[in-house]
Amino acid sequence: MADLRAIGLVVAAGTVVALPLSLALSDRHLADASTALILSTVAGTLAASALAMQPLLARRRRIARHQLLGAVVLGLVLVHVGALFVESPGDAWFALSPDGPTRARMALIATVALLAVVALGALRSRLPLAPATWRLLHAYLAVVVIALGIGHAVLTDGALDDGGTVVLLACGAIGLLGVPAAHLARTRRGRERR
Amino acid sequence: MRRPWLLVLVLAVVTAAIVVALLDSEVSGTGAENVGESGPEQPAVAPEPREEKRVQRRCKATQSNPGGTNNYIPGAPRRASLGSGFVITGLVRSADGCRPLEGVRIQVWLATQTGGEQDNRASVRTGADGRYRIETDPTVPQFGEPNIHVGYDDDEHGEVFIRRVVDLDDERAVVDLTLARDG
Repeated sequence: MADLRAIGLVVAAGTVVALPLSLALSDRHLADASTALILSTVAGTLAASALAMQPLLARRRRIARHQLLGAVVLGLVLVHVGALFVESPGDAWFALSPDGPTRARMALIATVALLAVVALGALRSRLPLAPATWRLLHAYLAVVVIALGIGHAVLTDGALDDGGTVVLLACGAIGLLGVPAAHLARTRRGRERR
Repeated sequence: MRRPWLLVLVLAVVTAAIVVALLDSEVSGTGAENVGESGPEQPAVAPEPREEKRVQRRCKATQSNPGGTNNYIPGAPRRASLGSGFVITGLVRSADGCRPLEGVRIQVWLATQTGGEQDNRASVRTGADGRYRIETDPTVPQFGEPNIHVGYDDDEHGEVFIRRVVDLDDERAVVDLTLARDG
């Protein structure tokens, strides 16, 4: 039974990664795209998939994998942004400027929150925060990252429109529902230990 | 948690700041209004003020908007078209007298199905009615949204660089320019 469950989880995780990635790579938007744009799209798509899975890993006490995937998401976002600067520096600076479109501002805020949530995870033992405070801060920042990160992807015209939008919304819903589930599970386990 | 109300207050303030930051932005970027149209092209009706009133009238000069110079390369080659399926057109007038300007060089550049903004650029001149028109291939999203650029940077008037957005299924973009001698 446990084996079947493990296989089911692997299949579900594979679907969350493969479905948006295959949709993006087969979209005509990338048909004649530059290497930088393809790289940026792939990195952004993988980050969206990873964001959906992160809270579930935390809920299932896969903390080492949760931390590793958090670092991977940060790396993917940096590749996504870096490739956009290679693709068109003028457009990239404009997007990050105060005059940039709403979707770019969402991405900027989500990236700042992502840096904060990764730092919070990495420095947990060194920060003078009560466990309950740390958990609430971590969950809050995770919600900001998922909501604004996925929102940015949904508002962006490109390789994940139509069916891709539905998949992105599903990733966002899984991630956002997973945050309170993981928070409650961790809080309950903390009480049980006491 | 010793002071939960303090943490809740901090998170509420941060949330409010995020909401304000998002509401403060424009969906497509500052000044990037949607100028896309579809359906049959309507015949242009150029404003023709009576001669004696021309000297008295003054039209508001078009201002550049942020992002207008993105991917701009001076001296776009003169070209009759950049493909087919999408039309960029507009009326160019003088701020002094509001009269249509003939023979003014307008530069356009945009990402289409056959090229990026830096490859897909052209100069066109306005006709006797002050209108310019160029047909291009259909637009594609550039940094998340199809957008077009229209610019003027010759010596006779002040330079203007415009960034506007369209929808993917639009067939036409209309960008009128009013040029001022003092910029």
